[in-house]
Amino acid sequence: MSAVGTVVSSVLLLGGAALCLLGALGLLRFPDVLSRLQAATKPQTLGLLLILLGTMMRLDFEDAATLMLVALFQVITAPVISQLVGRSAYRAGVLRRDVLVVDHLGSRLSENGTDSTDGADGAGPPPQR
Amino acid sequence: MTARLPQLIWLTAVWVLLWGTISAKTLLGGILVAALVTAAFPLPVIGERLRVRPIALLWLVGYLTVDLVVSGVKIIWETLRHGPRATAGIVAVPLLTDSDWIATAVSNAVSLAPGTFVLQLDHQREVCYVYHLGMRGPADAERVRRQVLGMQRRVIAALGTPGELAAVDDQLGREPGGGRR
Repeated sequence: MSAVGTVVSSVLLLGGAALCLLGALGLLRFPDVLSRLQAATKPQTLGLLLILLGTMMRLDFEDAATLMLVALFQVITAPVISQLVGRSAYRAGVLRRDVLVVDHLGSRLSENGTDSTDGADGAGPPPQR
Repeated sequence: MTARLPQLIWLTAVWVLLWGTISAKTLLGGILVAALVTAAFPLPVIGERLRVRPIALLWLVGYLTVDLVVSGVKIIWETLRHGPRATAGIVAVPLLTDSDWIATAVSNAVSLAPGTFVLQLDHQREVCYVYHLGMRGPADAERVRRQVLGMQRRVIAALGTPGELAAVDDQLGREPGGGRR
């Protein structure tokens, strides 16, 4: 591996690790579930992608191909998880209203009384407020 | 069975990638495992088809990559600068498609970047509710709304039918402040 390659992959690995660290810091510093969720799921996505990229540069193609799968599944699943956890947190009411400067969903739900957004998924009753 | 063919090919490809070598053994093994998985866990077949436009799809992937980095930096700034005093908002944005495929792709694309995710999709009213971290006041809602509309247009340009794309442009043209960007 050339000297330039070593430097580039080292920068990628360290950058990715730094992003994961900052994500962990956000987890500690942000005020409620929804904002912590952003820190917990998202900087890691980019951080992991950088780490994988840095690792791939140091591997043969055959081993690197498997890492591409890791990257792909991370990109596909991270948004799903944040959506599921976020939605559950919102419905369970475990979030701080004072953190939200705008809440169109909350005003929609309260003006309706009933929750028509459930559609087919049959989640429980609307949060009591 | 032909409707399940893409799933079969995809699972075989995953198997081969996991082994890291393309040989008769991994290929046949992959087809066997894919067939077993497809038979054991059948997914509902969604009848509608996607029109994939390769160039628009590449643009979308490029935009998502840039978005991932830019939003990442914003959230890091939010972490360091505001931390416990960070504020956020939930904004209603019109959903420009009634296709399940595209709605899924849009939510995934919006939710990929840090700071923003789709909290709720309301198909009947064609609205999605988007959470955005780092909103300072109600005035920021319009910015988030335009951002999500732009993302929807990019996804539909990459995966939607020509009819859908025309309908989207028509609707964006009528948006206050000219949503098309």
